Amino acid sequence: MDADTIVALSTPPGESGIAVIRISGARALSILNSLAPGFSDNVPRHIQKTVLVDRANEAIDDCMCVCMKGPDSYTGEDMVELSCHGSMQVVSDIIDEAVFLGARGAGAGEFTRRAFVNGKIDLSQAEAVADLISAETKLQRQVALEHLEGGLSRKVMAVEDRLLEQLALVEVSIDFAEEEIEAYAPESVRAEAVRIAEEVKELAESERAGRKLRAGIKVTILGPRNVGKSMLYNGLLGEERAIVSAHPGTTRDLLRERIHIGGFTFFLEDTAGIAETGCEIEAKGISLGRRSAEMADLVLFVLDGSGELPGDAAAEIERIGPGRTLCVLNKSDLGLKLNPESVAGELGVSGSVSISALTGEGLDGLKERIYEKGVSRETAAISRERIAVNARQAVAFRDALGALERLQKLLGENAPAEIVSMEIRAAADACGSVTGRNVTGGLLDLIFGRFCIGK
Amino acid sequence: MFIKKNGNHDYEVAVIGGGHAGCEAALVSSRMGYRTVLVTIGLHDIARMPCNPAIGGLAKGQLVREIDALGGEMGICIDETGIQFRMLNRAKGPAVWSPRAQADKSGYHRRMLEALRTGDRLDLLEGEVTGLVVERGCVAGINTAGGNRITACKVILALGTFPNGLMHIGEESFPGGREGEPPSGLLSDQIAELGIERKRLKTGTPARLGRGSIDFSRCVEQRGDEEPSPFSFRTERIEQDQVSCYITYTNEGTHEIIRSSLDRSPLYAGRIKGIGPRYCPSIEDKVVRFPDRGRHQLFLEPEGLETDEIYINGLSTSLPRDVQERMIRSVKSLESARIIRHGYAIEYDFFPPHQIYPTYESRAIGGLYFAGQVNGTSGYEEAAAQGLMAGINACLAIKGERPFVLGRHEAYIGVLTDDLITKDIDEPYRMFTSRAEHRLLLRQDNADERLMKYGVRFGLQPKRAWEEVVERRKKVSRAHRRLAKERVPAAASNKILGSCGEKKTEAPQQAAKLLQRPRVNIDALEGALPGGGLGLGRRERESLEIRVKYEGYIRRQRNLADRVVRLDRMRIPRDFDFDISSLSSEAREKLKLHRPVTLGQASRISGVRTSDISVLMVFVEREKRKGESLRG
Repeated sequence: MDADTIVALSTPPGESGIAVIRISGARALSILNSLAPGFSDNVPRHIQKTVLVDRANEAIDDCMCVCMKGPDSYTGEDMVELSCHGSMQVVSDIIDEAVFLGARGAGAGEFTRRAFVNGKIDLSQAEAVADLISAETKLQRQVALEHLEGGLSRKVMAVEDRLLEQLALVEVSIDFAEEEIEAYAPESVRAEAVRIAEEVKELAESERAGRKLRAGIKVTILGPRNVGKSMLYNGLLGEERAIVSAHPGTTRDLLRERIHIGGFTFFLEDTAGIAETGCEIEAKGISLGRRSAEMADLVLFVLDGSGELPGDAAAEIERIGPGRTLCVLNKSDLGLKLNPESVAGELGVSGSVSISALTGEGLDGLKERIYEKGVSRETAAISRERIAVNARQAVAFRDALGALERLQKLLGENAPAEIVSMEIRAAADACGSVTGRNVTGGLLDLIFGRFCIGK
Repeated sequence: MFIKKNGNHDYEVAVIGGGHAGCEAALVSSRMGYRTVLVTIGLHDIARMPCNPAIGGLAKGQLVREIDALGGEMGICIDETGIQFRMLNRAKGPAVWSPRAQADKSGYHRRMLEALRTGDRLDLLEGEVTGLVVERGCVAGINTAGGNRITACKVILALGTFPNGLMHIGEESFPGGREGEPPSGLLSDQIAELGIERKRLKTGTPARLGRGSIDFSRCVEQRGDEEPSPFSFRTERIEQDQVSCYITYTNEGTHEIIRSSLDRSPLYAGRIKGIGPRYCPSIEDKVVRFPDRGRHQLFLEPEGLETDEIYINGLSTSLPRDVQERMIRSVKSLESARIIRHGYAIEYDFFPPHQIYPTYESRAIGGLYFAGQVNGTSGYEEAAAQGLMAGINACLAIKGERPFVLGRHEAYIGVLTDDLITKDIDEPYRMFTSRAEHRLLLRQDNADERLMKYGVRFGLQPKRAWEEVVERRKKVSRAHRRLAKERVPAAASNKILGSCGEKKTEAPQQAAKLLQRPRVNIDALEGALPGGGLGLGRRERESLEIRVKYEGYIRRQRNLADRVVRLDRMRIPRDFDFDISSLSSEAREKLKLHRPVTLGQASRISGVRTSDISVLMVFVEREKRKGESLRG
């Protein structure tokens, strides 16, 4: 009855030790065999440990796999269960691949619904099954609403509306060919398709960017010797991780630790103080620090706020890139000589904060700034909403993008209107599957509202 | 007058109304072997066109081709009585080509009347139907004005705009079914009393002018096609001479006359309550809503060969008579136009079609079928299609056979039926190609391939007709395989490409690939085929060209259609209880109102979400299994 194959995460979403992904349907086994080339024989109910790979044959995760042949499974169909590591990135990669291989994301309660329809669940439990579906729907909608409210949904709906406008132009030329309505200009539809494609591409890519954010944001602490970088490092970590001394150049090696701010992971790196030095080891440490800063998503450039602005600070910051640098004026407990605002202005950095690593004053404020800069900076326009673009939504956006690319080609070839319209519809419907809107349902309303029709 | 009685009934099928729906219904039921009576107020009313004198047009032309493939009459009738034939949208791809013809109105009427008169098992009866005979929730016959009772197993209502018709011209409002005809109220009132919801709609028509009073030399002439294409698959060719239509325009002066008289418009004064079609607004609507348009296009279309009347397409209005006159005479070429009849608006009752099954049978009253404008549609073609489907299903029900419901992927008729029962109809419903999500599959050229097999199954088409379709399809497939294999040498390819203005090539080209280039046509290609000519007739060549050019796209639409069909095959029992607590409350209300009979229909009702369909699936499955265990 259900021809297609579905995939879903069966354990609660979020970071956990283990996550279980289930696939059910006629293509479950063939998807498993593509995902896990090492999985042998398809012997039902035998657990095998094997590596899952993506379409480029790159390993995604090491995973426990088991398959069941229908009707001897929960849903009564061929099924696969994958127990993978519980990182959202791994889960989303695996689901992404399963979708690429022909599965689609399961609807609310769909596994149970299939089990019922295939006779695996007792008749008397129909109500319970239905309740489960509606409960899961509510949950999904809550989650979806949280993510869709604001940015993402507004953006997608704006894209949908723009697609609908173009569709109306094309459709009106088909259905009202006898009317005095100017034919659409393929070149202008194409230009708009290019602009829309850019937005959709950004949406599709924000999933990857979002995943990168989930994987962790890199923050490097850089600055001259003896300004209190390591003390700041310890302060942010909340533990005595780095050796702190009054002796300049104490830190020589690169130190790396993970902290969490606002639900995101930040990798914090402490580096050797920058100075002219004859010491080979120290020089090596300094160059390591600079490399770390080059790779960082955010650089905390620490200065002694109770002293003078060093002459070479500006050049150093220029080299790193002032746009992703936050100036930290330490030692506020000694009284600040430098004014945070004028320092920020002078160095052209994106912000400046005064703290005392010794007393802990200003550290919370600094964390907030790190969060702000790190999360919204790394991928310029990525807001919290956009990070919510999950694998399933990204698939929809990629479908829309494919249609838009074909559309551009068709318009360049002067293809007939009914074919052009097909690709615009495909793009609009793909976006509609994210927002749940029946986009093309509003087509005639738009046409009647916009064009003077009536022969 | 009555022919032989059948059991306890005078007739098996009684059709009320002789418009386009009624005619097709009566013809099909008599042709399927059932004694049929068509009751109409007057025989002069048979198959009249109270609005524009044309059949077909965008999407409507496809409907006529489908009606014809199934064995209906409309296509043949217009082929014989059309006075100008055009294939619309020829500049676009063949999927959206639509045949349209100007009709000789009285010729069409006479031709249809002839078909009815000569039909076996078919009686025509003049008179007003005053009520339905309903026994135990099922229709059993009709009462006519003289106090006669005619008993029938099935009754098909095809009343058009007559139920409680109210006409408006300026400040005048008077009851009427259409120009010069009384309305009928009794029947509509009785139907409402039987518990069937009734609502109001509005439509309108322009004035008619005297031919001799128009200066056509100052209009743009619009001629018919050099080679007219027939509507019917049974018509070899169109022989008759063709006449022209003419185009002229309103101007700012016209618009000013309209604007200054809006207070006398029944529409703007608020006296018209029914909702009119947005796709066919009155001229006053157009002027108000699009004030920037300096002019509106008008088509002057002859109403027939013998009549003097000219229809002004684009000037539908309900403004007062004196305003209509001033407005018309402000138009170039109409300065001294003589008005034969004034335009008017008409409000009428309809019965929202969520109350019928996809067989067009009423859910409330067994054996009672609704077809045409009573379902809230507009258009002769939409009406005829419904009449045909209602007639077929009434007959199948008598036979005790499975109903005949076309899918959205099979026919525009399928789209029409499905829209009627799943959408909220709040303006007169007209077909558009954009309503069909599988438009590339529903072409006018392949209506026979899609539907003729059904016509044969119901005995409405000769078996041979379908065999010919199958034979033709085989020949086209063979030729298609040839084009996929054969290569055209580079020199010959370049000759074709050059003459069609396409980019040249270096290597030999696969013949099918050449034909896929937008500007290359099959005639140009055929001469260059190394294996010689294809040996195909005109229609076969056309369908081969379409297959090759749309290849890939047609496959994509088929795949999409297959997914929809899966849900359409899952039936919901007729007495199913939609009061399920786990459905969303909006879905529950909508489902109780529309009572879909398949999960596919349910999924197309606005407000019903995917998760609601999942819940329905569970309960439908439970019902099914309960049924099985009872039988087992």
